[in-house]
Amino acid sequence: MFVAHYMASGMGGLRTSGDLVARMQFTKKMRLNEAKEYVAKKLGVTTFEMSDEQIMRELREELRIGVVTGVPKAPRGISAKMNIEDLLGIKMNSCEFFRSLINKR
Amino acid sequence: MSYEAERKELSDAMVGCKVPAIQAAVNKAHDNGMPATEIINAMSAGMTEVGTLFERGRLFLPHVLSAAAGMKSAMDILGPELAANSEAASSRGTVVMGTVEGDVHDIGKSICSTMLQCAGFDVHDLGRDVPSQNFIDEVKGGCNYCGMSALMTTTMVVMKDIIETMKAEGIRDKVVVMVGGAPVTQAYCDKIGADIYGESASETTEKAKARA
Amino acid sequence: MTEYITRMGDGRTVTMTREQIYEDAMAGMADGADAAQVPSLSDEDIEQIVDIICNKNRIVAVERGHEVILTEDGGPHKFMLDSGSCCNGVEMGRIDVMETIERGIGFDTFELTTTDYSIKPVKPIVGPEMTAMQQAAMRLTVPCLYGAMPNMGLYYSPDGAHLNPADLMREFRIEEAQQNAEAAAEQLTRDIVYVSESMMSAGADGFNFDNTASAGDAEFVATLRGVEQLRKDYPGAYITMGMAAENVLGIHGEIEYDGQIVAGLYPNDQVKLCEKAGANIFGAVVNTNTSRSFAWNVARAATIVKDCVKNSNIPVHANMGMGVCGVPMLETPPIDCVTRASKIMAEVACVDGI
Repeated sequence: MFVAHYMASGMGGLRTSGDLVARMQFTKKMRLNEAKEYVAKKLGVTTFEMSDEQIMRELREELRIGVVTGVPKAPRGISAKMNIEDLLGIKMNSCEFFRSLINKR
Repeated sequence: MSYEAERKELSDAMVGCKVPAIQAAVNKAHDNGMPATEIINAMSAGMTEVGTLFERGRLFLPHVLSAAAGMKSAMDILGPELAANSEAASSRGTVVMGTVEGDVHDIGKSICSTMLQCAGFDVHDLGRDVPSQNFIDEVKGGCNYCGMSALMTTTMVVMKDIIETMKAEGIRDKVVVMVGGAPVTQAYCDKIGADIYGESASETTEKAKARA
Repeated sequence: MTEYITRMGDGRTVTMTREQIYEDAMAGMADGADAAQVPSLSDEDIEQIVDIICNKNRIVAVERGHEVILTEDGGPHKFMLDSGSCCNGVEMGRIDVMETIERGIGFDTFELTTTDYSIKPVKPIVGPEMTAMQQAAMRLTVPCLYGAMPNMGLYYSPDGAHLNPADLMREFRIEEAQQNAEAAAEQLTRDIVYVSESMMSAGADGFNFDNTASAGDAEFVATLRGVEQLRKDYPGAYITMGMAAENVLGIHGEIEYDGQIVAGLYPNDQVKLCEKAGANIFGAVVNTNTSRSFAWNVARAATIVKDCVKNSNIPVHANMGMGVCGVPMLETPPIDCVTRASKIMAEVACVDGI
C-alpha cells in the first residue's frame, strides 16, 4: 500500500523534497501548490525539479538537510532538521525540544 | 379501498420521527377503516426510509428511536386487531445479534438490531465481545436468524468458526446467518458460507425481511 | 466491444466496457453529490476518471510535477503486528520501522504509535511512550508525529465508566444516552489534552488524531475540543484530524461545536470545524461500497473530496487505506486500483496530499 501510493503520486519524502513541503503544509497551513512554490524558492529550483531525484539528491547533500543514502558525516535526524529550520525559516518542536535538553546553547 | 392517503400520511409521520404525530396518523388510519396489518406495513416502509436517511446523515439515532417508539405505540393501539389476526401478530422471526468475541465495536450492530426490531423481528442483542458459544446456545434456544458483526480483519474470522460449529452441531440449516461490519464483504460472506451480507443496517433488514 | 479489466469494491476482478464504466462513474458521482449535497464533477473530470480506469497498464501514476504529499496513519504497527489477517508481522523495533519507511519507501511524514492505537490505553504508558517519542524525534528527519485514535467506545461499559448510548437508545432512554455521551466526551477531551501535550513535551512535531468520530458525533466534539486546547498550549504543533467515515454518525444527535450540530456533517463541513479547532491538515474519508464497482466508488469519492478541497482553507489529505476513497475493501488492496484511485484523487479531486 505504501509503495503503491508512493509510485502513483508521492513526492518522495527524503529522496526529493516531500518532507520539506509537508512541513510548510503543517507550519503555515499552506495548500499544496503554495507550499511547493515556497520550498522551491528556498531550494533555488523549480516546482518540477523539486520532485526530481537526480537534482534533489545532490542538493540535499550540499544543503546538509538529510539524504536517504549513507553518506559519511552527512547530517541526519535532529542535525538535519536544525538545518531545515534555517533553510525554511521555521521552528520545529522537535528541534526546540532538543535545544531544551542541552546545557550549551 | 386503497388507503393511499393514509399510507402516505403514516409514512410521512414515521419520517417526521415525532411520536404524537405517528400516533395521530395511526389513529386516523384506524378510524378510516384501514386494516391493522396494512397500517403496520405502511409504517414499516416509512421505517425503511428512516434507516436510509440515518445512513445518509440526514437523521440521527434519537430520530430513529423516536420513529421506533412511534411504531411500538402503534402496536399497542392496534394490539387487539392484530391479535385477532394471528399471522400478522406473530413476529417475523427471532434474531440473535452480537459483535463477535474479541471485538468491542458495536455501534453498527446496535443500529441494525434496532432496525430489525422495528421491522417486526424479536431481537436478542447479546452486545459486543460475545463468546462464540452464546450464539450457538441462542440458535439452539430457538433463534432462526443469527446476526454477527465484526469491525476488524482480525476478528471477522470468528464468524467462520461459528458457522463451522453450527454445522458440526447439526443446526446450520435451522438458521439464517447474517454477517456485516466494515471489513466484511459479499465475497467473504460467500466464502464462509453465510446467507446474508448487509452493506448497511437497512440493507441487512431488507434482506432479512425478504427471507422471513 | 472492448472490455476493460477492473474490480468491484470488495476487490473482485470484473470486466466492463468503457460505456459501463462511464455509466457507473456517473451513477457514483450522482450518489456522492446527493449524499454530501455537493456539485457534480464536470464532464471533463468524468472523462478523465474513465480514461484512468480504462488505462491498459497494471499501474498508473500522476504526471511528473503533479506529485502530492503522503502522510501516514497507523504508524509502525502496520508493519510489525501479525494479528490474524492484517499487518505484516515483521518483528522489529518501532523506530527501525519508521526509518525504513522514511528512507526506503519515501513517505513525507510518519508517526509513532502504540499497539492499541487509542488515546485511553496510552495514558498508563505515557512515560515509556514519551521516551520512545524523544528517540524517534532525534532519529527521523521527516516530520514525526505521535498518532492515536480518540476511540470513545473505550469510555463506555464494559471498558469504561459510562453506559453505552446505543444500548440506552434501544431501550428508548434517549436523554440518558445523550448525558452518558456528553460525560464520556468530557473525559475523552481531558485524556486527549493529557496524551497529546505529553508527546509534544517529548519532542513530537505534532499529533495525528486518526479515525475521529468512530463513536459518532460526541466523539467528534470531544476531539475538536481537545485539538482546540492543544493548539492553544502548543501553537506550533502539527495537528492532523482524520475522519472515521464520510458522515458524522448522529448517535447523540444534538451535540454542538461552536454553535453547530455536528451530526450528519460531510467532509466539506467537517473540515471547517477542524480548521476552527486548530487542525493543520484534514483527512477526508469517503466509504467504499463493496457491492459497487471501482468506477462507481472512485467517482463518488472524487465528487465528495473535490468539493471539500475547494472549500477548505487548510490542506486536505484523502484517506486512502483499504475500504476508503475508492480503494477496495481488502487487506491486500490491489495495486491497480490503489494507483488509479491515488492518481484520481491527486489530479481530479486535487487533494493536497494522501
